[in-house]
Amino acid sequence: MNRNEIIEKTTAIFHEIFKDDTIVLRDDMTAADVENWDSLTHMLMITRVEEVFGIKFKLKELNKLKMVGDLISTIEVKLS
Amino acid sequence: MDNSFSSEVLLSVLDKISRFPTRNAFCIDEEHYTYAQFGQCVSKVRSQLTKTNYSNTKVGLVINDDLETYAAIFALWMEGDCYVPLHPDWPMERCLDICEQVELDLVLDSSEKSRYENVQVLKTSELEYTVDCLEPKQGVSDDELAYILFTSGSTGKPKGVQLSRKNLASFIDAFFDIYPMDENDRCLQCFDLTFDLSIMSYLAPLLRGACVYTVPPDEIKYTYIGSLIEDVQLTFALMAPSTIKYLRPYFDEMDCTSLKHSLFCGEALHEDVTKAWSECAMNAVIDNVYGPTEDTIFCSTYRFNRASNNKSHNGVLSIGKPMKNCGMVIFDEQHNECAVGEMGELCLSGPQLTMGYYKNDEKNKESFFVKDGVRWYRSGDLCYKDKDGDIMYSGRLDHQAKIQGFRVELGEIEFHAKKYLGDKNVVCIAFDNKDGLTEIAIFIESEEFNTNELIAYMNTKMPSYMIPKRFFFVPVFPLNANDKTDKVKLKAMIQ
Repeated sequence: MNRNEIIEKTTAIFHEIFKDDTIVLRDDMTAADVENWDSLTHMLMITRVEEVFGIKFKLKELNKLKMVGDLISTIEVKLS
Repeated sequence: MDNSFSSEVLLSVLDKISRFPTRNAFCIDEEHYTYAQFGQCVSKVRSQLTKTNYSNTKVGLVINDDLETYAAIFALWMEGDCYVPLHPDWPMERCLDICEQVELDLVLDSSEKSRYENVQVLKTSELEYTVDCLEPKQGVSDDELAYILFTSGSTGKPKGVQLSRKNLASFIDAFFDIYPMDENDRCLQCFDLTFDLSIMSYLAPLLRGACVYTVPPDEIKYTYIGSLIEDVQLTFALMAPSTIKYLRPYFDEMDCTSLKHSLFCGEALHEDVTKAWSECAMNAVIDNVYGPTEDTIFCSTYRFNRASNNKSHNGVLSIGKPMKNCGMVIFDEQHNECAVGEMGELCLSGPQLTMGYYKNDEKNKESFFVKDGVRWYRSGDLCYKDKDGDIMYSGRLDHQAKIQGFRVELGEIEFHAKKYLGDKNVVCIAFDNKDGLTEIAIFIESEEFNTNELIAYMNTKMPSYMIPKRFFFVPVFPLNANDKTDKVKLKAMIQ
């Protein structure tokens, strides 16, 4: 799966979890930029990402996922 | 005059400031602050307070995650004042409603730019320490308030629970009767200061010279805590059960051997996740503690038994027995005490019990009653006692839910949604998702429409944890035999 496909799928997850179809992902986007992105919805989003991509994050990795770009890159590495 | 608050709380903290000047009192966002620094910070806020002209002893406090905010609490207490937390992330309208209800004439704010305009603001982060100002004001009665916390109210307006200095001193007395703590402890403070579990989390350590570790608000709380326990070797942690529910997939990566006490409060604690946690926090005493804000932080404890069976009801661990001086009785509808095993409403009494809701006669009449000279609070929790006196929790009697440990009146969400949608019927239902976590679903009697604007509106009225996560459109709501909306049928649509 290339980066664009990952972004496309992740965008769909963001729309679903954060209840906003207008979200356009950017690499430097953080929780502060998205209205309903809090600790709870973050965990729901992570669970959904794990399901959709069939991957599993480590706790230490999760703490480094501050920006959307980090998330996309981590998914990319896990899938390769 | 009884003033155990002054001796048990204020003088005890001052004693730690003078005895342990070089030990750490706080670790906030990875920066350590010693007891000496904490004392100086309290002094600078207190000094300024004594020079400020304000008449209401109830003072607003913008709760940022910094030393000034914690120091302000003690400065206010030393001055005989009470703090009313104002959350920086809550909709301004909600905060202004609180300011108005309590008629605040002073707000302490450490933010770079304050959101408050039409009230006197004391910017605590701009103050400089010059001299010590730590002598508690004399002659302040323990009947004076220590804090007012606003919780969700079904009429769309948050309601203020008033807790006195006596209430808090009684809690501290009961707490240390069970839990040992000393200057070598490292303690977790993972709660918003709008939530009373935060008070145990910062106050108990400071009364023993221990160090308080806060969770920065821009971090993902659950994963941050998961790493913090191991990184700083926390010894004492009070958490909401949802924290370990979310961390469960990572238990095998976590080293929690440093934990000596692991307490849970705020929501139902399930036996299965506790058992898994007990293997992770293998050296910890694990307690399920219970209590509403109205009875000062918590009032009962149940100790998880590693070696044998535990008491539970529908998989939820017992909330145990009352703490020192706390009254907990199960009453039936006629206020007769229920027999062993008989289900009824758990009612609370004793020195930790609030004097009532701030200027809310209607709610006070509804929630409190006197029987044989004792004043009782109706918790709204459906419970029964077993033959040993351990209390089992079975659910809510009303339309209230716990989301991430926060109390939510589903009626308040319905109120705001209806207001926006005009004549449409709306029902909110709390449900447990597949991870066993409580979420809110909203049912709208309507054809499907885009909910973005509705969500945006609700975000201006309520904190994010109150915003429903699932939306259902039903052309016509089903009715039950009593011609009321059939919530059971609606709930069945969630799965």
